[in-house]
Amino acid sequence: MHLPETTLASVLLVGATSGLFAATAFASAAPSPLTNGDLVAVRAHKLHVSPGNVLEDATLLIRDGVIMQVGDDLKVPDGARVIEGDVVCAGFMDPWGSLGMNGPATVDMSTNAATRAVDGVDPYLHPWYRHQALAAGVTAVRVQAGMVSARGGVGAVLSTAPAEDLKSMILLEDSNAAAGLGLSSRGNPTDVFARISAVDKLVSDINSGRDYAMGLAKYAHELEAWNKTIAEAEAKLEKDFKKAQKDRDKEIAEAKEKGKEFKEEKYKEDKRPKPPKPDAEDAVMARVASGELPLVVTIHRAAEMRELLKGTARFKRLRLVIAGGTEAEAVADELAARSIPVIVRPIPLGANRPDEYSGHDLALAGRLADAGVRVLLGSSGGGSADLPLLASLAIGHGLDRDKALAALTTEVARTFDLSGELGSLRPGRRADLLVLDGEPLLPTTTVRYALSAGRVLISPDSRD
Amino acid sequence: MIQQSTSLLQRIAKTHLALTLGLLGCSFLLSAQAEAGEKYAVRAGTVHTLAGDAITNGVIVIEGGRITAVGSADDVKIPWDAEVLDVPHLEAYPGFVEAHTSSGMDRPNESVAVAPFLNVRDSIDPVAFYFEDCLRSGVTTINVQQGNACIIGAVGMVVKPRGMTVEEMLVRPRSGLKISAAPKSGMSRATQAQTLRATFTGLRTHLEDLVQQKRSGNDYSRREALYQGRDLSGERGKGRAMMSKGWTVEGLELVPRGEVDEKQEPLLDLVEGRIPAWIYCGAPMDVRLALEIARDNGFLGRTVLVLDDSCWKAADLIAEAGVSVVLDSTLVRTETDPKTEEEEEVFIPGVFKDKGIPFALSSRNSSTESLWFQAAMCMAHGFTRAEALAAITATPASMLGLEGKVGCLCPGAAGNVLLTSGDPLSVTSFVEYVVIDGNLVYDRSTDIRTQHLLEGVVPEGTESHAEEPEVEEDTRKKAGDEGGSR
Repeated sequence: MHLPETTLASVLLVGATSGLFAATAFASAAPSPLTNGDLVAVRAHKLHVSPGNVLEDATLLIRDGVIMQVGDDLKVPDGARVIEGDVVCAGFMDPWGSLGMNGPATVDMSTNAATRAVDGVDPYLHPWYRHQALAAGVTAVRVQAGMVSARGGVGAVLSTAPAEDLKSMILLEDSNAAAGLGLSSRGNPTDVFARISAVDKLVSDINSGRDYAMGLAKYAHELEAWNKTIAEAEAKLEKDFKKAQKDRDKEIAEAKEKGKEFKEEKYKEDKRPKPPKPDAEDAVMARVASGELPLVVTIHRAAEMRELLKGTARFKRLRLVIAGGTEAEAVADELAARSIPVIVRPIPLGANRPDEYSGHDLALAGRLADAGVRVLLGSSGGGSADLPLLASLAIGHGLDRDKALAALTTEVARTFDLSGELGSLRPGRRADLLVLDGEPLLPTTTVRYALSAGRVLISPDSRD
Repeated sequence: MIQQSTSLLQRIAKTHLALTLGLLGCSFLLSAQAEAGEKYAVRAGTVHTLAGDAITNGVIVIEGGRITAVGSADDVKIPWDAEVLDVPHLEAYPGFVEAHTSSGMDRPNESVAVAPFLNVRDSIDPVAFYFEDCLRSGVTTINVQQGNACIIGAVGMVVKPRGMTVEEMLVRPRSGLKISAAPKSGMSRATQAQTLRATFTGLRTHLEDLVQQKRSGNDYSRREALYQGRDLSGERGKGRAMMSKGWTVEGLELVPRGEVDEKQEPLLDLVEGRIPAWIYCGAPMDVRLALEIARDNGFLGRTVLVLDDSCWKAADLIAEAGVSVVLDSTLVRTETDPKTEEEEEVFIPGVFKDKGIPFALSSRNSSTESLWFQAAMCMAHGFTRAEALAAITATPASMLGLEGKVGCLCPGAAGNVLLTSGDPLSVTSFVEYVVIDGNLVYDRSTDIRTQHLLEGVVPEGTESHAEEPEVEEDTRKKAGDEGGSR
């Protein structure tokens, strides 16, 4: 079996240049700077291309940080750095994390729809924190400013590879918009009526976003029509100019003859249409209403979820994502029917659990998945490094293992429009992958190698 | 003679003339004598001009507040009518320059987050103890700026620690607008960045609205300006095309400058490069935002970053942007590895020196971690004397646009001279006299506070306090702990 190659030419190029790297390829097992043309071959007994799609005794070739070829009949080119292991799968992604963010930005209650998570990203965070997440197999995290705020603003997906250069950390700078409903945190109402009206407020915000988008579209349309009308009028006026001059001369002469004052004929034309007043928050909600940005709503109680589902049913393009969803089982059918993913945090909660987690159950992820709901697993900002362990808890409480793997890889990529870049080990994807000594998401499995964009950042030598 | 007229401020700004002072309550602050054109001369054992070799047995001649001649006593003749400070046992240095401080004000911050329309002039307290203490520490030029807890702060000003009114203290008005890239309390970095960007977008929208109004024949802004009685005379009655390296608004020449919202005006001055920006960064990640805001709005070339000690990590970004920085008073920072808890000490001025970034040292206040102490710390960490002294004289002077005017003893510079009993970077020497603009303004032999603190001399009329020995012992102990008060 052999997965499609990106291009034949690039493969030939791999062969041609590989010899150059023979001398340096094995130089170091520690994090090595990515040089143009770095070639890595990963060989495994089992290679999870995507959950449920497993190749045996397969090889994966990486060049310039991108997966070039995957197959069970590939020859390792000369000079490639070879990494061998038992099991290989895509790097895990935390769809509900905070790693890489400056702390206060994640708990800021004053955020609005236009606040940007990338402004809260701290590239100077000590590399150790990211190293921890990588060592656990988490290679990407979706972050959010104002995680518990009524409007969280525009989220981002970050790589966990340590880097001081902000640009290289950001995988997607506008992954989603966000809202929090009925959270018990400071500043949010917990009264049931207040909670329901907060849902209605969100729905009306989406609606004004849609109106804003429609206003812009209408303006663009009217402007185009106006430009056309004016251009036509101008052409006609220029064409008739000589006649107009003659008429004018004639009229002046006539007026003179009659001893009257010459009156200039008033020119009339349609007014140029006015653009709607720019509004940064409406602009984000417009992208939400049009389905361009998914809307992650942190919400736990059934009553509010019902209200939210009811209120948003008319926005056919809206892409809702539920985060938390403690009581989501009550609306599982509708979530399944509308293909709304739920980001579950499968964590044993002690005495300090927030109020909204009162109905918390470790079996939630498994039950939702059984009901046909798309399930994602997230840390809720509680530490992305723990996420693989939390996933194994969810598996222990009934979540299918392939679905758990999907919940950390393909489903995350799909939800945040990154399927073309991340989440699976197909050619053309960014080489964020793990080499494991056992099946993924088993508590007994450890990460032997973690690669981010083809760079080996965790290896048996670098582990402590 | 103290004049209370608005034109006074402008007049001083233009001429830097020293005006006659009213007397001060403290006896060591000598009342000033120099009228405009009056002459003053200092003869010192060694004159360190900081603009060339030191001069043994040197003479400094000051006329009308400015230095007119510096040289060896053999070469420079002291005018017959000059008042002479003859101190062959002392060394002369230029007064030190504080590049940025929030001291000396009634309070450093406003509750209004975006307040470009405020001016520290209204908050500076001429009789603040801070200014008195500046003299003891040899600080003669001070850039007073609003505190760091803001989004857009007030317009600052450069003053000297001498004078009973802010006008008398003035060296340079409008020394720049204070901006913070670090969150004001109640904000986070994400919302601070959002508000900061929105402030400049707001300015742009306001200007575009004005142009739009003018184009459609609406004179609302003029009527508003007339109603509010704003200045619409001269240049302010005329429009001027927007001059900016960042963004521009087409057609601004249609709008008389006097009609621009007064609250927005200092921001427009900033964007058009008429005043500099002092941007505070509280963490290395703030540096990126500070530079982005400065770059996008065209004032990067007139930006100085005011840095928290953690910001050394962003030195590469700063070097690339080519801006100058003011360092925090903490010069040695301890970085702790979160895993191993191993500690590493970073000497911060060294980082900036190695990257070729111009930096000024700053005091926490005038007496603790004062400028001389900071410079001494730099020498202890391997700086040359010239490098260490430049960071408290020439470098801050050029940041303030006062190159050659303060921070050196050379012809044309303000007559600000320190007379020290020895090396000013040594804890055992003292500032014995301070001359500002050719006026003797400090004489340690009459400084009752220092005498009380160091020699136990009880000030007149305070006997009752002296009878409580505990208090006195405490005071002495404290003075000893601080390594000598200057």
